[in-house]
Amino acid sequence: MENTLPKIIRKTSPYLRRPKANVTRMMRDVTIALLPVTGFAIYKYGMTALIIIALSILSMAVTEYLYYQLVDKLDGDKFKLKNKSYTLYNFSVITSGLIYALTLPDNTPWFVVIIGAMFGVFFGKLIFGGMGQNVFNPAALGRVFIFVSFGTMMSYDIDAVAGSTALTMLNNDVFNIAVLENFSLMNLFTGIGIPGSIGEMSAILIILGGVYLAFRTSFEVRIPLAYVGTVALLATVVALYKGLGVWYPIFHVLGGGLLFGAIFMATDPITSPITKGGRIYFGFALGVLTFFIRVFGAYPEGVVFSILIMNMFVTTFDYHKWTNQQITKKQKIIFLIVVLVTILVTIVGVSYVG
Amino acid sequence: MIKKSRKVRDYKALTKALPTLRYLNPPSVFIHLQNGRCKTYDLTVKEGDHVDVGEQIGVRHGGFFEQPVHATISGTIGKISKKFHRTGRKVDCVEIVNDHKDILHNLIYDRTDEEIAALTQEDMVEIVKEKSLVGLGGSGFPTYIKLATKEKINTVVINAVECEPYLSSDYRLILEHPGRVVTGLKYIMQALKCDNAIIAIKSEKDPLFQVLTQVLRVRFPELNVKVAKLGNHYPQGWEIEVFRWALGIEIPHGELPMKYGVIGFNVSTAVGVFDAIKHNMPVIKRYFTMTGDAIKFPQNIRLRVGTSVKELIALCDGYIENAGELLVIMGGPMMGTSTVSDDVIVSKTTTSVIVLKNVDYKEEPCVRCGSCVYSCPAHLEPVQIMNAVKRNDKEVMKGLEAFKCIECGLCAYVCTSKIHVTDYVRKAKIKLG
Repeated sequence: MENTLPKIIRKTSPYLRRPKANVTRMMRDVTIALLPVTGFAIYKYGMTALIIIALSILSMAVTEYLYYQLVDKLDGDKFKLKNKSYTLYNFSVITSGLIYALTLPDNTPWFVVIIGAMFGVFFGKLIFGGMGQNVFNPAALGRVFIFVSFGTMMSYDIDAVAGSTALTMLNNDVFNIAVLENFSLMNLFTGIGIPGSIGEMSAILIILGGVYLAFRTSFEVRIPLAYVGTVALLATVVALYKGLGVWYPIFHVLGGGLLFGAIFMATDPITSPITKGGRIYFGFALGVLTFFIRVFGAYPEGVVFSILIMNMFVTTFDYHKWTNQQITKKQKIIFLIVVLVTILVTIVGVSYVG
Repeated sequence: MIKKSRKVRDYKALTKALPTLRYLNPPSVFIHLQNGRCKTYDLTVKEGDHVDVGEQIGVRHGGFFEQPVHATISGTIGKISKKFHRTGRKVDCVEIVNDHKDILHNLIYDRTDEEIAALTQEDMVEIVKEKSLVGLGGSGFPTYIKLATKEKINTVVINAVECEPYLSSDYRLILEHPGRVVTGLKYIMQALKCDNAIIAIKSEKDPLFQVLTQVLRVRFPELNVKVAKLGNHYPQGWEIEVFRWALGIEIPHGELPMKYGVIGFNVSTAVGVFDAIKHNMPVIKRYFTMTGDAIKFPQNIRLRVGTSVKELIALCDGYIENAGELLVIMGGPMMGTSTVSDDVIVSKTTTSVIVLKNVDYKEEPCVRCGSCVYSCPAHLEPVQIMNAVKRNDKEVMKGLEAFKCIECGLCAYVCTSKIHVTDYVRKAKIKLG
């Protein structure tokens, strides 16, 4: 007999898998989608941006590597140079590091970058059991940690004229059209000539990344659409109520980290609900929180906070008693009521703030 | 990849265009005496007896029905041995050694058309019961129970979708014997006193549409039968999905389609009805696909029920060289059962044997992409059921309605992390009982 006798083994159905579907492809796509934004950041801030990005990715990767080596050691396993749980191979840690870096202001000191990255990846991911188990978005957690702890050390490269970022101005004087004198909408759209976090300025490049991800089906389009849509809706309501004109909603959508957060942070599948309906409601809740923090809250920006807060409620969205694969009629009615109540609350709040 | 994906690569090109090979004279056949539904049996013949084609040699006892067992070749009864069945268990099989004379039993005779036209529903049910016809698409459900329904049936649906990848036996059956399919359908319609019928096919199988419309127009102009092209996705062949697409009727989980005025039969079952009523013949031959990427020469084969798969593999030039580990699957690659040996027997309900090279997929942690939730045809949330199984939370499994799962395998197929989700849902079903 010319060939060896084949060995027949037993498995359970199905025996086929979808070709080309894997986690690496998904994570790699997010990294690719971030490239234009990264390029713009480096173009605008040069070495500063490059150092921040490199430090973020490196410190996240190194923290993870050391953590798994330590776990192996505590388990009494033999030393292996490559650990199978290590997520550098599937781009997961690179993606987190890149997203984290791009949300930072350009004047962030190097040690703050490192502390935030290490904190984010350790408490946001590793402590929960690694990839796929985390409750919080590691990038968002790191960002908020350093924002709260080292807030004074990080400043934006402030334009002599503008004096502060677009949203800071808006926060100080909520309904003043004067902000537009310093930030034209066109500049907000292209990202040229405005201060802000190194990766959050150019709306058009962020949208480009989003379109790429949508074409590759590597993220859930419903979340950013619902998120940005909600912010735009509420801002429109306020604009109509106060007679502010169309610049106000556009300003809210383009200014700050909304687009970046909506497209790259809120869509992290691990920290978002699992059903179609759940994802839309999740996006809506994010939008409401972001808008409320921006308009009524003490901080100028609410994207990262709202993402972290809603991350905690993902299990609630997925609770088995009301989750459903399809969007049922009952869900639609409840959702509509919630939207109307939110609009009402916004109007009441705005009239109170004045 | 986060998307609803019901497209499954179908690999049918391997065998679709090949004419059917006839392998009707095996040296011996093995007849299953037990199956998934029938645990006990009585054998009315003993070793050394001579039997004819179609002769009753025993009876299987099921829970609420009995199935006569018929010889599929003429020859001498041999020993009883244990062989693998489609369900993956070892069951008793009786061997019949072929005498190559192919003598028909005296009970097998052709009914004239006038005789058939005079048959009532009760008569037909009796014939089908005696010939122990079951759902030949793989369900193995006794056809006479379906045929004896007292509900008013508006539409008979013949399911010729064959949505599982690799399979092409139904396709060849319709191409080569469309007349038998339609005649079988005509008898079913007569039995159920129903005027409308639909033959459901996949829209990509245009040759079937051509053949069937031609036959219906020329030979059966009096029948009101429509050939419906349904979607190309998987699992289009699931009965509920067929009704949804062909008629727009939504049948809730756990209810019989008969209540909604529709009834579904597989194509092979329709041909079985034809054989039983026209020739008074039990199922002794069937169309069968022997395929897979580890077989040298995939084939469609028309064979005797009870043929050993080993012989068929030899007929297809055997396994490819240096195959390494193989999977031998009875039924389709999405829902079929894998066996531990190639020493299996083709039973009435075996549509195919697929031999695949074993690929060990590397499982990654679940990233909660939601593809399984988006794709599930039964509207479940497989990943949530999987997590409930991992923490053994029965209440959640019940709340997520894991019992509705049809085990189509789509959740594992689409999984981004290549996790065997279907297995977890299966465990949930077992735990819920």
